[in-house]
Amino acid sequence: MAKPSIYDEFLAHEGVALVEFREDGIFRPLAALPKWVDELWQTRKSKSLRLAEKSPFLENFLAEAEEFWGSKAAGEVNSGNWIERDGAGKQVPLEASAFWLGDKRVVAIRNMSGTFGEQQQLYQTARDSLLTHERLMREIQKKEILLHCIIHDLSQPLTSMRGCFDLLLTKKVAPEIAKFLMTGQRESQRQERMIRGILEAFSGDLPNAPSQKQEGVESADLISCERRAVEQFSAAFMERGVELVLASYRDSERDWRVIGDAARIDRILGNLLENALRYSKSGGRVTVGGVEEGGRVMAFVDDEGPGLPADSSQEQMFALFAKGRDRPGKAGLGLYFCKMTVERWGGEIGAENRPDGGSRFWFRLPRARQEASAKQSGDDASAKAEAEEHIPLQKTARALRILVADDNDTVRDFAVELLRSRGHQPEAVSDGITALARIDEVAPDVILLDQEMPGMTGIDTARAIRKKEGKGGARRALIIGVSGDGSEEHRKLALEAGMDAFLTKPFDRADLFRTVEAEPRPLSESKPAQGVRAQAAQDGNLRVHLNEMTGGNEKILKKLIANFIADTPKKMAAIKRAVLSKDAEKLAAAAHSLRGALAIFGAQKSVAARNLEMMGKEKRLEEAARELGVLSQEVNRLGEQLHALQSPRKTAKTESAARKHRR
Amino acid sequence: MIQKKVCMLGSFSVGKSSLVRRFIESIFDEKYHTTIGVKVDKKIVKQDGEDLTLLLWDIHGDDVFQKMRMTYLKGMSGYLLVVDPTRRQTLEDALSLKERVDEAMGKVPSVLVLNKCDLLPEWNIDLARIQAMQERGQAVIRTSAKTGAGVEEAFSKLAGAMLGAAT
Repeated sequence: MAKPSIYDEFLAHEGVALVEFREDGIFRPLAALPKWVDELWQTRKSKSLRLAEKSPFLENFLAEAEEFWGSKAAGEVNSGNWIERDGAGKQVPLEASAFWLGDKRVVAIRNMSGTFGEQQQLYQTARDSLLTHERLMREIQKKEILLHCIIHDLSQPLTSMRGCFDLLLTKKVAPEIAKFLMTGQRESQRQERMIRGILEAFSGDLPNAPSQKQEGVESADLISCERRAVEQFSAAFMERGVELVLASYRDSERDWRVIGDAARIDRILGNLLENALRYSKSGGRVTVGGVEEGGRVMAFVDDEGPGLPADSSQEQMFALFAKGRDRPGKAGLGLYFCKMTVERWGGEIGAENRPDGGSRFWFRLPRARQEASAKQSGDDASAKAEAEEHIPLQKTARALRILVADDNDTVRDFAVELLRSRGHQPEAVSDGITALARIDEVAPDVILLDQEMPGMTGIDTARAIRKKEGKGGARRALIIGVSGDGSEEHRKLALEAGMDAFLTKPFDRADLFRTVEAEPRPLSESKPAQGVRAQAAQDGNLRVHLNEMTGGNEKILKKLIANFIADTPKKMAAIKRAVLSKDAEKLAAAAHSLRGALAIFGAQKSVAARNLEMMGKEKRLEEAARELGVLSQEVNRLGEQLHALQSPRKTAKTESAARKHRR
Repeated sequence: MIQKKVCMLGSFSVGKSSLVRRFIESIFDEKYHTTIGVKVDKKIVKQDGEDLTLLLWDIHGDDVFQKMRMTYLKGMSGYLLVVDPTRRQTLEDALSLKERVDEAMGKVPSVLVLNKCDLLPEWNIDLARIQAMQERGQAVIRTSAKTGAGVEEAFSKLAGAMLGAAT
């Protein structure tokens, strides 16, 4: 046997097989082949190798190599790593390169076993770190949700306190008592600002975060909520082959109203149904129903799933971030939200195994009393009367020419009607470009600019107007930015663009008149809605809220409602189209337009619209269809309330007149 | 015997290697082992009564550390585009990869694999979007390399599509 040359020994040491490519896919070794080649491909001492037949990867690479050799390019072409298995199943990492060596087409195949482990460790560490980072981000998101829950819980009693102080201050009280009340009012406002500051710092829109709403005075029809829930979830259940049924009520004609807010009872039922679906097998059945229990009503969701684990406690099950073991939910917030909400209304919630198998999740809520509703109506009338006495209704002595630019018909018409009723001379346009074009003709004293208009934003329009004024020596108009976003950042942008004041949606006539009739001054924001209206808006007491906004002007109110009823279906259709076609930009624009209209009826009414707008802007449409469902419900509910408002207004007005008469 | 080259494509840690291992060896390992480069395995399946050899190219996850070479796809008859639906970004990455593949290779049969269906409650992707893709003719299958659910079906569906495309 010939002694291997130093050249052969070097290549063996390096683990490199050096072969020359001949015709027809045949290779000829240029030196002694390392041992691993034979172990892998059983080449023996053959002088004629058909490597492409041994390795599909090499076959693929050789096609690339042939192209390279054909191009006569300098350098080499590299295959990248690949792994072969030897006869014993051991993995052998390899890498090949093709190049010209003199006039020879050469392939060098390297065994990478020496360095591969290190390289793999490096990639493994990097990718593990990325996965850990992703997990951490998800955990942080959960923590933010927790923070939101806490903040909202803190806000709720404070909202009640503020309402009480505001109402008490509208009464005649002794000066020393008034002093204490004002201190209480000031401090509660301060605390609310602090809480909102924290909320704004974490302004990611979160599902299931409880809204700031006064508890305990509202009532909801449990049968309607359950019907809605069954309707909403029927498709999801059908897809999984699970039957979803509404149990027949023993007496559906009688009053099934309970203390609680319908929207949140819908969410509770939704959470319980999602839970039941998660644990139901195809062919199973889930039943939703209600049982009367004296002064309370129990709603239940029965499933035919595996039942509750033997070692599970109610406390754990309804705890924050609690998750089932086998089929856990998303964030462990669903049941926690249910417990928190039900208990806030004086109810209770629980779960148990059913005797025939499966589990029952239930919640009990106090039955709503007739006198509670009657009392609330009385409060509405009283609040309305008080409101009418405190907001000036007379025409202004100084009529102003006002240019109103807003792409949202509802908001624009509302502002124009209010300004006209006050004796001003408003002109309406629907975009910034038209506003700029009409400046010379209208010569406005005041310009109201919506911040998000198509074509030219309010900020851009303000800049252009100031530039125009500077060139022509025209009198400086008071420019007021109008936006749902009253953040500091937004105000700063407005100031930089040359605006004088800022009006946050939703605004009422007092906010509007105060801002419009102010002398030009450094940028300020109209004070947020105070007193009765703020409380009414937060309570969802639409009648008081709208009455306060319009100053009891029937004409404006009717137009406002008629516009809403006429425009909303079109706006909803635009949103639906955008969601279905996954068009994020159109979704943002359509949701923004509807949000403006909804904002008039109270800020919390536009949460789903705002969520959809943000989803559009951030191009994250995963939850858009679900949010659209929430929005549809909100819009339908608001529509029903507006229809219902038209007749009871008469009663409220009569009561208000009677109160004035008594005084 | 007919032989078809099948590529496993998708982001890192979506379960491409685990799907191959489950398909070939009926094994699943909880621990994540990142793939470097390419591993080629072979499995003979029965398709419409005929033996079909699948050459499974398990290609490393496409990410900032390793970019996938389009040359690996040469001669490919079909591919499984694997997504981890608990990580939303993997769907975006997969769709962008699909665009690159379609551009480089033309129309090749593919199956979008939504892996990790054992973690269904943690899924975080837009299923309406997936449904829209299905309506446009994209084959979609939910799998779990962990439990084995849908794995055979995914490969079988692709095999059927490849043979259909070949005829």
